[in-house]
Amino acid sequence: MQPDDVARALSTRLGDRLLGVETFVGTAGRVRFRADAALDTFHSVHDELGFRHLSMVGGIDWVDHREVFYVVWSDDVRQYLILSADLPADAAHIESATPVWESANWHERETWELVDITFDHHPDLRHLLMPDGYVFHPLLRSFKLHEPEELEVKQRSV
Amino acid sequence: MSEMWLNMGPQHPMTHGLWNLRVKIDGEMILDCDPEMGYLHRGIEKISEDRHYNEVITLMDRCCYVAGLAWEHLYILAAEQALHVTPPERADYIRAMCDEFQRIASHLMWYAAFVQDLGLMSPFLYGMRDRDLVLDLFQSFTGARMTYEYQRVGGVRSDLPAGFTDRARKVLDWLDERYVEYDRLCLGSTIFRERCDDLGKLTARDCIATGVTGPMLRSAGLKRDLRKDRPYSIYKQLDFDVAVADAADVTARYLVRMEEMRQSSRMLRQILDWLDHHPGPVLADRLPRWLGAPYAPQGREGYLLKRNYPKGLGFSSVEEPHGEAQAYVVNEGGEHPYRVKFRSPVFANISAARHYLVGYHVADIPPIMGSVDVCVGEVDR
Repeated sequence: MQPDDVARALSTRLGDRLLGVETFVGTAGRVRFRADAALDTFHSVHDELGFRHLSMVGGIDWVDHREVFYVVWSDDVRQYLILSADLPADAAHIESATPVWESANWHERETWELVDITFDHHPDLRHLLMPDGYVFHPLLRSFKLHEPEELEVKQRSV
Repeated sequence: MSEMWLNMGPQHPMTHGLWNLRVKIDGEMILDCDPEMGYLHRGIEKISEDRHYNEVITLMDRCCYVAGLAWEHLYILAAEQALHVTPPERADYIRAMCDEFQRIASHLMWYAAFVQDLGLMSPFLYGMRDRDLVLDLFQSFTGARMTYEYQRVGGVRSDLPAGFTDRARKVLDWLDERYVEYDRLCLGSTIFRERCDDLGKLTARDCIATGVTGPMLRSAGLKRDLRKDRPYSIYKQLDFDVAVADAADVTARYLVRMEEMRQSSRMLRQILDWLDHHPGPVLADRLPRWLGAPYAPQGREGYLLKRNYPKGLGFSSVEEPHGEAQAYVVNEGGEHPYRVKFRSPVFANISAARHYLVGYHVADIPPIMGSVDVCVGEVDR
């Protein structure tokens, strides 16, 4: 399956909420969709394109906005497909994928606690790796591992 | 009727690592369960953002401590795609050899731990004894038995020592005879069969819904193996069969893993033959110098070349001993990866626990969880 095939199949249901399908080496493509079309995208990808296996959900903090991405696999075409949506940093939330892929449950819990992306209508959104009541989101860029001066010290002869 | 929640863990003989299985029981029956993870969370993804690309390899060995080389390979594949680097062919073969030996070592570790859960002591000792032979091989070319730090962006650190392939073949010969003994000890034992048959069932349909991969998926009759379906590295050149079983129970998972070890031996013989006849470089010669040791031993100056280096995204997926592991590497042109995300197969396999535990007895938990092959290091990262 090529990115063009994916775009053709998704555009009927999504219309202009589909922002494009890019080439991504080693996969069927990288689908960029608007966050408000999340459930429709998931259903199309699962039911119509046949990507029935959700492998992972992850988030990236781009400081001015956040990105959430999904990796799905199809046993029919034996390919991966990557779905990606941009979310505003001050209101980073998207519809949960759990109604479509049950396996999204833990991945979304992890993405929520590490990258601070809220998944609406998630059945069980609580801490997974961090202790209960932990208020920070470690994978945000604002969560510093070192102060800058410590980074200077780190430059050692290799 | 008295229902209660019972904590099995974080320190419990069943857990093999640090995690807590909370089970809701009524008498001996399991009504519900809720695995609690995070006791081994070290923030490997966060630390990676503060490391040079080659320094992340150190973390990969700690990520899964029974399959370090397979995780190094996973990360390296994604990093090379993000950095636009191609390794020489010999390095690819050596990495595949590492993968398959690591699969044997990991499955032997699983075998030893699993049979011990069932109370069989001698197979445990045999499993550990034979795993040490594989670790001896690793030691001969990486210098370490657990934390290898062997693979590099653009190849591997060093070529194999003289006489390695012959030593490796001897180990394979020895192991091939041992697999027969393992089967006789387990499958020939009535106690083993009565304990494991029809236990911890997980159908193919549930496997797909819950994201379960690896030997657990193949034990449900689904013939999916990334080495065949999406051949990475040099797996296209190798002749092997995918191990499958139908029963979807604990015994089926045992059968799949045993067959996988045999198939790994078969692949390894082909790889070793190739390595004998194709000497050559094991590191790409046109590498960006800022990648760090051993390319920029003078320290900082090499990093200056990093400016204007093209950005890139890397995605890789490998059939790790436990299942399908994935890495997503974002190169934004800095000295460090901007973001590294890993998908652990055991993470998904444990998250499906409700599907294969509910309805069985408390005493069934050790064999069922043993058959899942839990490695907490890669779940928590």
